[in-house]
Amino acid sequence: MAGLQSDLPFDLEAENDGGKGHRTRFVILGLVVALAVGYMVYAAFPGNALYFLTVSEFMARDSAQDGRTVRVAGKLVDGSFLREENSTVANFRLTDNDGELVGQQLNASYLGVLPDLFFNPHSEVILEGSYGTDRVFQVNNVLVKCPSKYQSVEQEQEQRLLN
Amino acid sequence: MAETRQTELAHADSRESVTPLGPVRRSRDLRVYLVVLGGVMMLADLSFIFWVAPTDSILGDIQRVFYFHVPIAVMSFLAFFVVFVASIVYLVTRSPAWDRLAQASAEVGVVFVTLALITGVIWARPIWGVWWTWEPRLTTTLILWLIYVAYLMVRAYAANPNQGARYSAVVGIVGFVDVPIVYYSVIWWRSIHPSPVVGPLAQANALEGTMAAVLLFSFITFLILFVFLVAQRMALRETEDRLGGIKSAMRRRAESVF
Repeated sequence: MAGLQSDLPFDLEAENDGGKGHRTRFVILGLVVALAVGYMVYAAFPGNALYFLTVSEFMARDSAQDGRTVRVAGKLVDGSFLREENSTVANFRLTDNDGELVGQQLNASYLGVLPDLFFNPHSEVILEGSYGTDRVFQVNNVLVKCPSKYQSVEQEQEQRLLN
Repeated sequence: MAETRQTELAHADSRESVTPLGPVRRSRDLRVYLVVLGGVMMLADLSFIFWVAPTDSILGDIQRVFYFHVPIAVMSFLAFFVVFVASIVYLVTRSPAWDRLAQASAEVGVVFVTLALITGVIWARPIWGVWWTWEPRLTTTLILWLIYVAYLMVRAYAANPNQGARYSAVVGIVGFVDVPIVYYSVIWWRSIHPSPVVGPLAQANALEGTMAAVLLFSFITFLILFVFLVAQRMALRETEDRLGGIKSAMRRRAESVF
């Protein structure tokens, strides 16, 4: 009867004979792991590893234009979208996403299906691809970034009436 | 030999019936309330999400994934916070109850973060145009998933339950570093993810009134689901512990007979 009760898997008496040295080693090991994880997160992201470049950053950075694959984000320039005749190749231009100011523009060419919200005026477009020698950005993938604001159709119409 | 086992089992049985089942029964009653309440709320939540919440003006119906995706992701943060606290208390007090809480919460947390990734993938394809992209929040969330899968593996492959409990507690404390990183990832780094809609860094007016109300309801629903799953898992773990104790006692008794 007594044997049944005292022999739970959590037998702390039997466990703690490892002593204090064991615990210190464990704390050190934990710290090393924590530092390693921290360093990996630090090294993986900031500075050189941006998720995307803006159009002007891309144009200013020669090292990004040597044909390596990069991501460039910006707004679709109004009226710049053109599909070649009898072809699925789309040509368009991208500009920085800072309001009315139209700065530098990036010529891009893409063969494929565009996401639904590509033409939405609220969307920001992110292109994955590389710069060709003809100064046209050859796009492999098109991504669309949406505003972090959700509203119903009715509310949007109300706001449009107010403006 | 066979006879000893018989008497052991009889002992185990009689011990079951003699033990005052008060706390066990109370915890079971609580879980029954939780599962009934949670079930009713989940049905209500579904009807709110699909019938009450307005359709988003830009994203359309797919935006309704939001009412699952965000509460599930936040519940996984909560789960890992519980693991963090329970692991510290366990290492200080060495009380099995805290280890049970840590394990239960970690397992439920892994389920929730997996669901957050899956709902995210479903949402990303029609809106972003890709199933997956290596942007900061997705990458750090995948790291989060790996950390807590590692937590469960460390526990499962340890030489004995005590070692598993201690080693995984360290993983549970250190691994929690990634939770704030996931939340702040869209602030610190350029990302395709929208900036926070809930939490300390949310913008004002990021959500319309009805949408915010449905989101709040969804949060409470998933919170109840989370509490129920953790309570259920803890009760199961308690039974496992008791069974383990009985088994090793029987083994010892059998050995002493020979």
